[in-house]
Amino acid sequence: MKTQENNALQVRNLIKYFHDPETFQVIKGVSFDVKKGEFLSIVGKSGSGKSTLLYVLSTMDTDYEGSLEINGNPLTGQTQNQLAAFRNEHIGFVFQFHYLLPEFTALQNVMLPALKLGKFSPEEIEHRAYESLKLLDLADQGIKKANKLSGGQQQRVAIARALINNPSVIMCDEPTGNLDSKNSHAVQDIFRNLAREFDQTIICVTHDNDFAANTDRTIEMSDGLILK
Amino acid sequence: MNRQLKIKKTGVNKLIASTHLTSKIWQTVVAVMGVMFGVSMYIFMNSFMNGVNQTQDDLAFSTLAHVRIYNEDDRRSYNPVEDFFTNPGTLFNIRNKKSIQYTDGIKNTEQVISILEKQPEITGVTPQLNFSVFFRNGSKKINGSISGVEVATENQMFGIGNKVISGDWNELDFQKSGIVIGTVLAQTLNVKLNDNINVLTPEGVSKNLMVVGIVETSVKEIDKSRAYINIATARQFEGKNFDYSSDIQINLLDRDRTDEIVRRLQPLIPYQVESWQTANEQLLAASELRNIIAVAVSLTILLVAGFGIYNIMNMTINEKIREIAILKAMGFSGKDILIIFLTQATIIGLVGGITGVAFGYAISSMVNQVPFKVAGLATLPISYRTEDFILAIVFGITTTLVAGYLPARKASKIDPVVIIRG
Repeated sequence: MKTQENNALQVRNLIKYFHDPETFQVIKGVSFDVKKGEFLSIVGKSGSGKSTLLYVLSTMDTDYEGSLEINGNPLTGQTQNQLAAFRNEHIGFVFQFHYLLPEFTALQNVMLPALKLGKFSPEEIEHRAYESLKLLDLADQGIKKANKLSGGQQQRVAIARALINNPSVIMCDEPTGNLDSKNSHAVQDIFRNLAREFDQTIICVTHDNDFAANTDRTIEMSDGLILK
Repeated sequence: MNRQLKIKKTGVNKLIASTHLTSKIWQTVVAVMGVMFGVSMYIFMNSFMNGVNQTQDDLAFSTLAHVRIYNEDDRRSYNPVEDFFTNPGTLFNIRNKKSIQYTDGIKNTEQVISILEKQPEITGVTPQLNFSVFFRNGSKKINGSISGVEVATENQMFGIGNKVISGDWNELDFQKSGIVIGTVLAQTLNVKLNDNINVLTPEGVSKNLMVVGIVETSVKEIDKSRAYINIATARQFEGKNFDYSSDIQINLLDRDRTDEIVRRLQPLIPYQVESWQTANEQLLAASELRNIIAVAVSLTILLVAGFGIYNIMNMTINEKIREIAILKAMGFSGKDILIIFLTQATIIGLVGGITGVAFGYAISSMVNQVPFKVAGLATLPISYRTEDFILAIVFGITTTLVAGYLPARKASKIDPVVIIRG
């Protein structure tokens, strides 16, 4: 099947096994497309394979059958180092437990992926990082060590970090799973804005129905298959 | 452009490495101290062992030449009759067989010396005429030996002039009936400078000599029984001509390379040529054993320090396993992770190595001040060698890198999915 121009992500006939403790088919042949600028949520019961699917989409998990393309780049079969470079430039991550580097300041945490990419000078990167912290209402937290921030603040820093390289896709694993309802709403609003105003593609795994209802499209998974 | 990119990319790895090092400063300090102790102990042990070896050698070579030429009758089993009648049926009956000495001593000293002086590796040559005597003063009679020496060359080779504690070594040149005697010998004979003693050879030649110097070599055997006279006087004693000597002593540029010169001299000189290694195997063995001990001890210390670093790096990496997974998720490759942790190991190794050199030097200089008044020493001996310092740094950094590489490689192979999914 030919890749359509406005597809950010395309999955074809994805099959994934777990081998430990015994071989078990987690994802049983899944195909779907995600359009550019689409805000997609993946829901399902625990054990339905939704997180596993996300990690395959994220290119971190390479042990699968089928094919994966992001922005028309076929990613199946590439080496770990090639995929790392691809992630650096094209994919932003937001995890459930925010996963900042605790010894670095909030600003440094945001800057790291951009420093790694090396597309701009460190001064330019610092400026951009500061701008995106400001956008997320964290301007005065920049010089604090990441482990000194509250949970909601950390999650917003993680979002700023995911955005710094202008990635094609942002992937989130339960981004609100660890937040109270106020912070959860704030994060939802941020994603909403990103998708609408910056035409950012966002794929979120969540079991928060409220969150899912607020997205453009929801894929529900059950027993390794897409229900709708 | 590509190069610029590379610089920036290694820049971020360095930033991460330095943040890791500085955020847990005590852990870093402990690791650095591990290397520092290893390196400084290596330097101290080796400098100390070198000092000891050098003192030992200086002491030994103050009387021992690197190569000695002498003539020993090795034909004690010369049996002309038996050799002539080889028929197995022949019976012999020889009674009161006497051995005849064919040659004794070196008859053509000047000729041998002129051959020796053509060898570029030889730094000093001096002939000696050694024989045993009785020293007598009044009723005291002591068994000892006399070295007839060439005053100037003997002093040049063994620096004996500096060991004369009263009187003057060069007097031997002016006073043909002068004698320089060992300090203990002087005490036992109860003689002082300018006193006369009587010397009696086994052949019955007796002569009065005047004490023009008293020498202290710190080698007890020598101080107790040795005396020096001019070689001309010695030849008179023995009734030999002006070209006669019993030994020719040779010093070389490098005393460890005697084999080569011995092999070269043997066909040129019709006498025995013997290196100090063959003559004094126990000296060689002792010095080599000390070296082995020094190397074994210091390598053990470095190894233990290496394990310490390995542990700390391993701990650090286990602690940071989630962060490593995050870095990988953000697009850092396995190589980046390896670089980040190897940079840390290198910095620990470098800082530890440099402070270790300083600390090792400090310890050594302090030990060098510890009084130790035995056998002519004033303090404990320390001898610095550049190669010990270089090797200490090289070993220190290598150990750190190896100890850092194994955990770093483990870190670079972490699968982020496993860690992040929990």
